[in-house]
Amino acid sequence: MARTTADATGFRFAALAALGILVLSPVLLILYQSFLTGPFFSPLSTLGLDAYVYIFTDSDFYRALGTTAIFALGTIVVCVPLGAILAFLLTRTDLVGRRWLEGVVLVPMFLSAIVLGFGYTVAVGPTGVVTLAFERLFGFVPWNIYGLWSLMFISGLMHVPHVYLYSSAAMRNLPGDLEEAARTSGAGIWTVARHVTWPLIMPALIFSIGLNVMLAFEAFGLPLVLGDPAGVLVLTTYIYKLTTILGVPSYQLMAVVAVVLLAIIFPLVFIQRKLLSRARRFATIGGKGARVTRIRLGKGGQIAAWIGIGIWLVISIVLPIGGIAIRAFVDAWGAGVNLFDHLTLNNFQQLFSIAALQRGIINTLLLSVVGGALAVGAYLLIALAGHRWSGPGNTALDYMVLMPRALPGLIIGLAFFWIFLFVPFLKPFRLTLLSLLIAYIIVGLSYGLRLIQATLMQVAPELEESSRSAGATIKQTWSRIVVPIIRPGLLGAWIMIMIIFLREYATGVYLMTNGTEVVGSLIVSLMASGSLDTIAALALISVVMTTGGLVLANRLGGRIHE
Amino acid sequence: MQTLKVAACAAVFQSVIVVAFSAGAQQAPEGYPADYQGIVTAGIKEGSVNVYSPTDSEQADGLISGFEKAYPGIKVKWNDVASGAVYNRVVSEAAAGQVGSDVVWSNGLDLQLQLVEEGHAETYKSVEAANIPAWAQYKDAAYSTTVEPIVFMYNNKVFTDSVPKNHKELADLLAKKGAELQGKVTTFDPEKSASAYTVMENDVVNDNDFWTLIDAFGKAKGKVYSSSGQLREKILSGEHPFGFNVNGAYAKGWAKSNPTLTVVYPDDYTIAASRTAFISKDAPNPNAAKLFLDYMLSKAGQTAVAEAGLPSVRSDVTADNWDSVNKEAGGKLVPIKLDAALLEGLQATKRGQFFKDWKKALNQ
Repeated sequence: MARTTADATGFRFAALAALGILVLSPVLLILYQSFLTGPFFSPLSTLGLDAYVYIFTDSDFYRALGTTAIFALGTIVVCVPLGAILAFLLTRTDLVGRRWLEGVVLVPMFLSAIVLGFGYTVAVGPTGVVTLAFERLFGFVPWNIYGLWSLMFISGLMHVPHVYLYSSAAMRNLPGDLEEAARTSGAGIWTVARHVTWPLIMPALIFSIGLNVMLAFEAFGLPLVLGDPAGVLVLTTYIYKLTTILGVPSYQLMAVVAVVLLAIIFPLVFIQRKLLSRARRFATIGGKGARVTRIRLGKGGQIAAWIGIGIWLVISIVLPIGGIAIRAFVDAWGAGVNLFDHLTLNNFQQLFSIAALQRGIINTLLLSVVGGALAVGAYLLIALAGHRWSGPGNTALDYMVLMPRALPGLIIGLAFFWIFLFVPFLKPFRLTLLSLLIAYIIVGLSYGLRLIQATLMQVAPELEESSRSAGATIKQTWSRIVVPIIRPGLLGAWIMIMIIFLREYATGVYLMTNGTEVVGSLIVSLMASGSLDTIAALALISVVMTTGGLVLANRLGGRIHE
Repeated sequence: MQTLKVAACAAVFQSVIVVAFSAGAQQAPEGYPADYQGIVTAGIKEGSVNVYSPTDSEQADGLISGFEKAYPGIKVKWNDVASGAVYNRVVSEAAAGQVGSDVVWSNGLDLQLQLVEEGHAETYKSVEAANIPAWAQYKDAAYSTTVEPIVFMYNNKVFTDSVPKNHKELADLLAKKGAELQGKVTTFDPEKSASAYTVMENDVVNDNDFWTLIDAFGKAKGKVYSSSGQLREKILSGEHPFGFNVNGAYAKGWAKSNPTLTVVYPDDYTIAASRTAFISKDAPNPNAAKLFLDYMLSKAGQTAVAEAGLPSVRSDVTADNWDSVNKEAGGKLVPIKLDAALLEGLQATKRGQFFKDWKKALNQ
């Protein structure tokens, strides 16, 4: 153990410093801004606590904070168990159709939350297609998509893929012999799942709980579409209000809320670190390359599993994406409308008349595919730097990784807009895609890095130790032993990052400029002028393209998951 | 011999000029002052003009291509800057000494004037100024370019009540049938949209009973949204079949392609919102900026924008314009003037009071 950590100190500190600059510069800027009375660049601004006083005496703030906490809790209560079960079924059992499902499971992540929420409105909103049909058949409607309960439920289902990705990456690498041993000793599959598999994937689950809590805290699109009509105020929609409340945009108030969000990170990471302090116990990728043997579900098991998965698929994929698809092909919908009278292809024709959109599509593809690969490369370096590195450096790393996740994309985008504007040597890059890429790398940091770390953690130290005692340097050990072993995790991370970059919308609002348009942020301006039919057409094309890309990657890569 | 030489020289000289004009410089538009040619030549030399605007490039398409045709050699670089981000972008870039915009064109009228007041706009008396109404001009720097009536819009399949024709009738209807209309009426959210706030500020000025309407709206559990896109879908689908303070420039277009939607110009008063343009201080392409601003205000530019659905402030264009909109509004069109009142609306105390009343009315 001693020898594996002894080396590469220089590299580790360099990586940590690089990460520190990237993460802390926006964070410190926001912190500084929160203690000012006006924009930090204005000569009229002075130091003062006015912004804190304003926020901490505003009853809306406490209401939003409380609601957000409940919302976060509700989201993880729904998504963590479901995501873990789904991952177990797909990676460890002989579930029928699992290869097909592996791609489909990710579909809820393809769309930005704001578009997804809109899809739900079209499908199951008060005048939604399904709602009206149900009402015609049964005379009543038992659901209401607006309000905190449905918001938590839908947000929970939406985040199932996140949990699935983390836990499946971990489960895939579990040695089958442990489970087999349990099975031959007479344990049923659920006993195996609970007592063998579950504890082994604990680290991945704890990661995803932490991540999803933060995701819930910075969620904006769903609360805006599903919460706002019912008067449900969360911290991010509260920030939205703050921008106009004082007349000229009041960044100091936004900054204070951002600081509150950041403060929530600290206890969260602390608990997480406590829980994971014995993580080594779970290292499972040993020297024996034992092939995974799948647990047989049996006929009853298959049926039960498929009923559950079917319900989930309908609610989190068929309804929202069906809603978007319908909206893309009609020019009217809702009460008293026969959709067949309103079929049209105009929505798609409009798409091609927008020049900025064509640039936007190319930029978005570049950012997600090439930028995504660059981002994963960066995350890998950071993950290796923290790999088997105990001490304050690693602690700092853990905190820094989740920090940006606490900040809404809009604020990260704004902070980077300022950094690229006011840091002299960065000037030439502000008007290029590079500024967007840097901001995107920070936005995707916790997603991507966590995936890689979770897999890294499972590599048994013996493997590295034997390589080291055979005389390999730490660099050789990493490049020849560790990285090849975690390749599935890296591919998974790349796919995830691509998807996240594709649908990101808030970060670009402040950063994009002529020539660096991205689709997500163009949607924001289309929304402002009312072109939701264009948005639906665009969103549908993007779902089809992302799905196609994923299928293609699966075909070409062949073994992304195996 | 001598005369021949002179004649030849003159001929050569003339052809040089002709070549120079046809290849490089463009003629100044007819009727413009003589020295305008200098701006044209300098603008073409600059080669491009950067516009910051929340108007998406789909709607600005005609304006862009029209300008590029009028001044070949000047490329319009359209920057899709969200409404809430325009102010920030301009002040931040100015503070960093990296002004990137030549022309800023936004529907956030109050913040546009604030930018003028803070010295971010270049004073420029447009050559078209005489053709632009006085309410649409501010200190020879900012010019309102469109007429966007603020209207009622309803879903005629779902909303079967007698349709209110003005603010008073709407307030009465909400008061009388509040229980029936629970959650059926919607409007633009002044807390989340700065332009919605500006409009309501004008409602308060034009309508002594506006708070009665808002009070009835709150009692009827009316819903508020922060973008035209959301408003449109909610009314279109019949979820909230009636909306007030909808941007009529958009609404008219929606109603044209959708017979389900009907637009009502309130017959007590119809506010006309707008979007306002100015030339940035220290603009990187100051001459091209002048050409673009003048073109926006010219008959050709105004026609292009009006044809894309944003009516013109000029009365001499054949497309939708102030007169035609005012006619539809029964002569009750009231513009949001570019004046000090807009700036007063930015004061925190004034806004604070408005939002206090607003919240009180809505959270009943």
